[in-house]
Amino acid sequence: MENKQSSSPASFVDSTVVPGDVVLDLSSMTSQTIKLGGGLRQDCDAISAMKAGTLRFSKPNKYWIESSQKRYVPCVEDTILGIVVDSKADNFLIDIKGPAMGFLPVLAFEGGTRRNIPKFEVGTLLYLRVVKANFGMNPELSCTDASGKAAEFGPLKDGYMFETSTGLSRKLLSSPTCPVLEALGKKLSFEIAVGLNGRVWVNAASPDTIVVVANAIMNSESLSGAQQIIMVDHLLKNIQ
Amino acid sequence: MEGRLANSWRLTVNDKNFIKTALLSEIRIDGRKPFEYRKISIKFGREDGSSEVQLGQTRVMGMVTAQLVQPYRDRPKEGILSIFTEFSPMADPSFEPGRPGELAVELGRIIDRGLRESRAVDTESLCILASKFVWAIRIDLHILDNGGNLVDAANIAALAALLTFRRPECSLGGEDGQEVIVHPPEIREPLPLTVHHLPIAISFGFFSNESILVIDPTHNEEAVMGGRMTTTVNANGDICAIQKSGGEGVPQRVIMQCLQLATSKAASITKQIKDAVEVVNTERALRKVKRHPTSTGVDVREKQN
Repeated sequence: MENKQSSSPASFVDSTVVPGDVVLDLSSMTSQTIKLGGGLRQDCDAISAMKAGTLRFSKPNKYWIESSQKRYVPCVEDTILGIVVDSKADNFLIDIKGPAMGFLPVLAFEGGTRRNIPKFEVGTLLYLRVVKANFGMNPELSCTDASGKAAEFGPLKDGYMFETSTGLSRKLLSSPTCPVLEALGKKLSFEIAVGLNGRVWVNAASPDTIVVVANAIMNSESLSGAQQIIMVDHLLKNIQ
Repeated sequence: MEGRLANSWRLTVNDKNFIKTALLSEIRIDGRKPFEYRKISIKFGREDGSSEVQLGQTRVMGMVTAQLVQPYRDRPKEGILSIFTEFSPMADPSFEPGRPGELAVELGRIIDRGLRESRAVDTESLCILASKFVWAIRIDLHILDNGGNLVDAANIAALAALLTFRRPECSLGGEDGQEVIVHPPEIREPLPLTVHHLPIAISFGFFSNESILVIDPTHNEEAVMGGRMTTTVNANGDICAIQKSGGEGVPQRVIMQCLQLATSKAASITKQIKDAVEVVNTERALRKVKRHPTSTGVDVREKQN
C-alpha cells in the first residue's frame, strides 16, 4: 500500500488501467486544481478508475479515461445522432443508443414556440446536443447550441446512417483530421455527421460514393493511420 | 415499456429510402452486387457433429446428437430426424428467451422440409431393430448473431454438422438377438450418417419498385424488403423446397430466375461445404493415428546439446 501511494501520476498516463486502480494521489499535489473527465472518481484523496481503458492527460490539468464501447453513456455537451421513437405532449422520445431514452423538449429549437412545434415522423434522424445527463434519469437533449441558435442541429435529410463504436466516433472527430476521412476527402465529395454515441451519417450525390465512404469508415477502426490510407486507395481503385 | 424501447435496433427513414434508391442503381450498402453472396466460413468444434458457420455478420452454431429410441408406430423401420432452433437473445435485441417465435418456427420448418422431404439423410439406415430401437438424430441450431439471412446460414450449419457427425456402432446380442449393444468409440469406430445429397437453402429478397431482386439479404435489407423467398436446391439441380412467406406477389418469370440463380450458387456452396468437411475428417483421422503411437518420438533438443 505504501508503494502505491507514493507512485507518481505520470506512470499511469497513457497506460491501460482497470476499474479500481488508484491513478492519482491528491495528497502529493496540494495546491493544484485538477479537472477529472469521464471514468474517474474521487474518494477523498485518491482518484480511482471506474472504467477500463487508457488514462489520458492534457495540459494543464485534465485527466480522463478513454475506452471504446458499442454502448453509449450520455455526457453533457456531447453532440449525438438520435432517432425519433415517439412524440408526447412536451417531449419527443429519442433513441440515443444509451441505457434510457432521451427527451427532446418540443420547444428546444431556434425560435420554437407552442405554435410552430415541428412534426417528426417515427424514424427521423436528428443531430442533437445533450443538455443534461444524470445517472438514472432520462437525458435531456436540445436542437440548439448553448446560446439558442440552430447551428446545424436538427433533422438530417437523405443520406445513410450506420453504427460504429464510441471510440471510432471520437477518432473521426479528433483534430488533426482522421487519416481515413482525409484520404476519402481528397478524391470524393461527401457530407458527414458524426455522433459521439456511435452513429455516423453520410450523404453524397451518388449512392456508390455513400457506400464507399460508409464501408471505408467501418473498416478503419482497427487500422493504423498508414493502413487506413492504403485501404482507402484500394477501395477507390476498385470503383474506378 | 420505455426500457424495452430503449434497447431495440431501429432503422431510420433515411436508411429505408437510401437502400431502395441505391438498389435502383444496383448497389447494395455493403458494396455487393445484387446477385453476390457473402463470404461463408465453416468451422468445426472438437466433438463430432458440431459446426459453426459465419455468413458475413450472421453466425450460427449447429450440433448433432443421437439417441436410441422407439420408432413411431407408423414407421417402424425408419429413424427419426428432428430439428430444434434456439434464437439466443444475444443475436438480436428482438429475440426473447423462452418459447420460439414465428421466425424461429419458420426457420426450423424450412430446414426440416429441405432435409426430410428430399430424403437427404437416409433414415432407414438408422434402424437397428425394427419396431424396437432406432436412432433419433437431433439437430440443434443456435443463432449467435443475426446479420441477416439466418435460414441459409442455419442450413449450412446443419449440413456441416450432419456430415461430420459419427454415431456409435451397435450390434444385436442377447439370448434371442433382441438386445442392442452400443459399442463405445474406443472399441469400435463410430460410423458416419448416410447423406445422399446436400440441399442448400438460398434466400432472396424482393423490393417494391420494379421487382428488384437481391440474393442473401443483410439485416438492414430484410427490414426494408417487401417479400422474401427461400429456395432449397441441391447441386444436381433438383428443387427440394420453396418457401415464400408473405409479402407482395411476384410473377412466375421472377421465380424461375430465382431458381436458376439458386442452382448455380448451390453448386459452389456444396463444394465449399464438402471441402471443409474433407479437411476436418483428414485432421481427425490424423489425430486418431497419433493416439496409439507405436514408436516413441525423438527429442531433437537433446541431440543439439
